[in-house]
Order: sequence, then C-alpha cells, then structure tokens
Amino acid sequence: MSLTEPPPPATGPELAGEDAAERLRDRISADSLTTRRDYLRIVATVSGGLAIGGVGVASGILHRHGDSDGLPRAKKVADQLAPGESLAFRFPGDEDRALAVRLSDGSLVGYSAVCTHLACAVLWREDRGADGELYCPCHEGVFDARTGEVTAGPPPRPLPRIFLTEEVDGSVWAVATARSGEPAKEALCRQFGESRPEMARRLGCAGAERATESRRT
Amino acid sequence: MSDGALPPRPDYRPGSAQPRLNRPVRERYPQIRPTSGYGDPRIRHTGPGPGSGSEQEPERSSKLNARLTLALTVVIGQLWGLTVTVNEWMEGNTGTVWWGAGFLILSFLAVLGLWLLDPKDR
Ligand code: FES
Repeated sequence: MSLTEPPPPATGPELAGEDAAERLRDRISADSLTTRRDYLRIVATVSGGLAIGGVGVASGILHRHGDSDGLPRAKKVADQLAPGESLAFRFPGDEDRALAVRLSDGSLVGYSAVCTHLACAVLWREDRGADGELYCPCHEGVFDARTGEVTAGPPPRPLPRIFLTEEVDGSVWAVATARSGEPAKEALCRQFGESRPEMARRLGCAGAERATESRRT
Repeated sequence: MSDGALPPRPDYRPGSAQPRLNRPVRERYPQIRPTSGYGDPRIRHTGPGPGSGSEQEPERSSKLNARLTLALTVVIGQLWGLTVTVNEWMEGNTGTVWWGAGFLILSFLAVLGLWLLDPKDR
C-alpha cells in the first residue's frame, strides 16, 4: 500500500477564470497517463491470456495437420507414379493436404504438405539438391525428401510422414500417418495396435503379443 | 579529535535558511505543472521538506520498477513456454503439453502475485 496519494484538486479563488482554463488545456494536451501500475495490470492480463492459451493448446484447440485419431481408412492415391513424379492428394482427412513423391531411385515417400512453420503448401522440387527436395516457398523452408527433416529455413519440425504402399498392379495407397518427428515403428504401432492386432504383431510392437493372446483365450 | 572540539549545532528549523527556498513549489519549479509526469502526485506539500516536489518514499518507485521487471521477465518466459508447448502438441506429446500448460498457469499466478502485492501503487 502506498503512503502517497494524488493531491486533492486544487480549488480556490485564485484558480478561477483564465488560470483554470489554462490548466484544463494543459491537462488535455498532456501525454496519456498510462502509469507503471496500469502497465503492471496490462502485463498481468497478457500473462493470463498466455496461460489460457496454454490450457487451450493442451486441451486440443489446435488441429494437428496430417494426423488422425486411430487408423485412417486406406486411400488409393494413384494408379501409377513414375520416378520423379509427385502427386498432391488429401489424407487422412478431406482437409489434410498431402504429397506423394516417387524419388528417382524408385522409392516412394509421402508427407503432409502443410508446412510446419506457418502452414503454407509444400512443393516438390526435383531440380533442387541431389535427390530433389520439398520446398516451402513462403519463407524458403526446405525439407529432406527422404526423411522429411528440415534442412533449411524456419520450419521448427519435420514434415509429418504418410506411409504409402504399392500394390502389385502399381497402384499407390496411403495407409497410415506418423506425427512430426515420430519414429515410423512407433507411429505404425500406435495406429495398428488396436484395429489390426495381427499387423501390429507382425511389426513386433510392444504390447501387441499380450493383446492377441488375451483375445485368444 | 574530541567531542569538545565540535562547534555547537544550529537550532533545527523546518525549511531552509534561505527564504528563497521556502517559497511554494509552483513558484520554485515553474516547470512542474499539474500534468507533468503523472500529474506529479509526488507533490503533496508546498514548501520545503518531504513531499514537496521530490519523492517521499524513494523505495516505493524502485519496488514498483522491480515488480514490473520481474513480471515482464516472467511473461517473456511464458512466450517461450507457449512455443514449446505448441511444438510438443504438434509432435503429439500430450503429456508434456499438460506440463507446459501447468508452467504457464504457475507463471501467471506469479505475475498476479506481483500485481496483488500493491495494486494501488503507481
Ligand atoms: S510457411 Fe513454410 S517456411 Fe514459413
């Protein structure tokens, strides 16, 4: 508690007329009176907003691009995909932009095409780098085409991966997703663990053995 | 040097020995106007002595500065914490995200405490 307090407004015969008008003009033209106490209150409000934001993030108001709860339904992406070609599609949801690329050595990779920086669309640029790379034009973000890791620019996280398989007839299917930076096995176990235990067992997931056994008995 | 050698002290009188320093504040400092600073609430007495155109309680202002500095530092920490929390959420580490939210709430309580120490202070 402060010992000081604002002075009582000075009133008196000597302030009448001209003097009072001058004081009023003075006060009106004065700088805005944001005191340090006001500023502390503003800082406390901002801090409260950040705390609410943190709780909001934790309770899931942000959409995690290219992620789905549980196992997404497998989706046919293309009938054919020639080396060096890329294809944009939507997976796992209808809103999740994704990108499938056949690298020049024939390997097939898929990623969420939503840049992890500020969610621009990521493009496949075959002419850049040795292997070609995934390039975000917004702020020159560059991702490695084989792993999805960030190789240049501001994006903070690798691109979320999409697992593609190729059938004997050459058609390409998207079957599962991994979160940004999640190891492939962990991601597959997370998604196959419940809906397809036999698949999880084949992958050698921890816990899959027990789950299938208890179902058998 | 012994005490006896000291000259006798003059009698204490409030104010200055120089009459020109005992004039009212508005005369002594024409620059200080009702709106200068924060309406200059420091000046609540006329004449010389505490409260007349100078801080009566020097620690008050510096305490407020310290609280403000601490609060701003905590808010900067919160901004950092929020980026980390969002990053963890996007990577799917939901457990870590709740820790982040807890950190943000605790920081807010700290700032709130700093404010509540003296919400009326300037
Ligand atoms: S949005 Fe992709 S680099 Fe900024």
